[in-house]
Amino acid sequence: MEKVCVIGAGSTKYGKLQESISDITVQASVDAIESAGIEPKEIDAGYISNVFGVADKQVHLGPVVMSNLGISEKPSLSIESACGSGSVSFREAFANVAGGFYDAVLVTGVEKVTHTGTEWTTTYFSYCSDFFYEGQAGASFPGLFASMARAYLTEFKATEEDLAMVAVKNHDNGFLNPKAHLRKKITIDDVMNSAVVASPLKLYDCCPFSDGASAVILCNEKFAKQHTKNYIRVIGSGRGGSPAALQGRNHITTIPSTKIAAEAAYKMAGIKPKDVDFAEVHDCFTIAEIVDSEDLGFFEKGKAVEAVREGKTRLNGEISINPSGGLKSKGHPIGATGVGQVVEVFDQLTGKAGERTVKDAKVGLTHNFGATGASCAVHIFQSV
Amino acid sequence: MYKLSAKQQFIECAKLGKILARKCKNCAELHLATVYFCQKCGHKEFENVELEGKGTVVTYTIITVPPAGFEKYTPYAWVVVQLGSNLRISGFMANIAKPADLPIGSKAKIVDFDERGIILEKQ
Repeated sequence: MEKVCVIGAGSTKYGKLQESISDITVQASVDAIESAGIEPKEIDAGYISNVFGVADKQVHLGPVVMSNLGISEKPSLSIESACGSGSVSFREAFANVAGGFYDAVLVTGVEKVTHTGTEWTTTYFSYCSDFFYEGQAGASFPGLFASMARAYLTEFKATEEDLAMVAVKNHDNGFLNPKAHLRKKITIDDVMNSAVVASPLKLYDCCPFSDGASAVILCNEKFAKQHTKNYIRVIGSGRGGSPAALQGRNHITTIPSTKIAAEAAYKMAGIKPKDVDFAEVHDCFTIAEIVDSEDLGFFEKGKAVEAVREGKTRLNGEISINPSGGLKSKGHPIGATGVGQVVEVFDQLTGKAGERTVKDAKVGLTHNFGATGASCAVHIFQSV
Repeated sequence: MYKLSAKQQFIECAKLGKILARKCKNCAELHLATVYFCQKCGHKEFENVELEGKGTVVTYTIITVPPAGFEKYTPYAWVVVQLGSNLRISGFMANIAKPADLPIGSKAKIVDFDERGIILEKQ
């Protein structure tokens, strides 16, 4: 297996964007190519993740991107795996470079949905659930995670204020990120007083609907060394699945696919959770970050809220969780999110994270899932 | 021989307040009738079992920002129920406005299936 590296990364701002889905996809791709210091012709293939291209009148994004990069003859693959599309796409790219099929590839994720409005975005997103049992019965995504939150608050010593602290922490981080969608500090009271979306989750427990695109260049180590000193290694990659519907799980306060993907990634990397310096985890809702940080092995089951209370997950705490601001503050353009997490890790480990730099970080982890964790990918990165 | 999905049969059962389950002929694991292979042993032969659509509430949410089509029902609950067996079922429940209306552990039953999927009621 070839050693796989990330040599370039780029991202649009996340938020409500005016440009078309194809424009922002190409823009992020160009940024990644320039960051890598390579020519488009050196790219062997493109992996483009997106979920709701149909909402902006463009699916089959792969060839559109390649054509705009002047490499229309190169193969591309458009990938959908709900909110986990970006990391799943990254994994396919990783596997193809590791397997020796390609020397260098482009991985770009994108979403453009805000123009459809809250009601229709909520509706489109519900199509990512096991629709027969969930979406059809009126379960929105906040509703599904709210069910997880109620189960957690019932089973463990945790309160709605504890969940609010996750949002406050991620907004503190996102405030330092020029590309974040919700770049403002908030308080626990702001969260507690925000409108209830699906009890017990309130508006500020939820990530925003965002537009945005993120891209990275993946390559083998030989290619990396020929082009730059500024690269990072992918040392672990894992994937897993869970029953598509929440009703299919015996425990609603844990996400099986995260555990399966994390175990595989840790094994490949030859490290333990305690060796991770910082992690970008899938905090689509505050409860998700709590559940994720337990499933990833950073804290024992039921103990993550205590860690948040004690500030262990803050920037430069025991383990910095979501230094970018996470989905909660940085934003969640669902097809881009998993790739955007890799952009953050690249920036952190190559000294480009500015004020939100995790000090002396060597190992970063990304965790991104689709729907309520029905599909998941975990990747581990190391500086060189 | 080509067989249509058991979904229609599942829906007809739900309308009568029952769950059409599939019991694996090899390992006896129970699944909802929309499954084709046993999750536990991979076997593909099942016998149909009709379960009473009654159980206890495991968790739920009360939705105040609904997807399209649900405005007229808001607020409503989406509920996960533990059936008497190892199966869980989820569905729509009307007339739940606050958590006190539906404590965890409340009894609930399936009463219908319509354009909102499985319809549950508190007992």
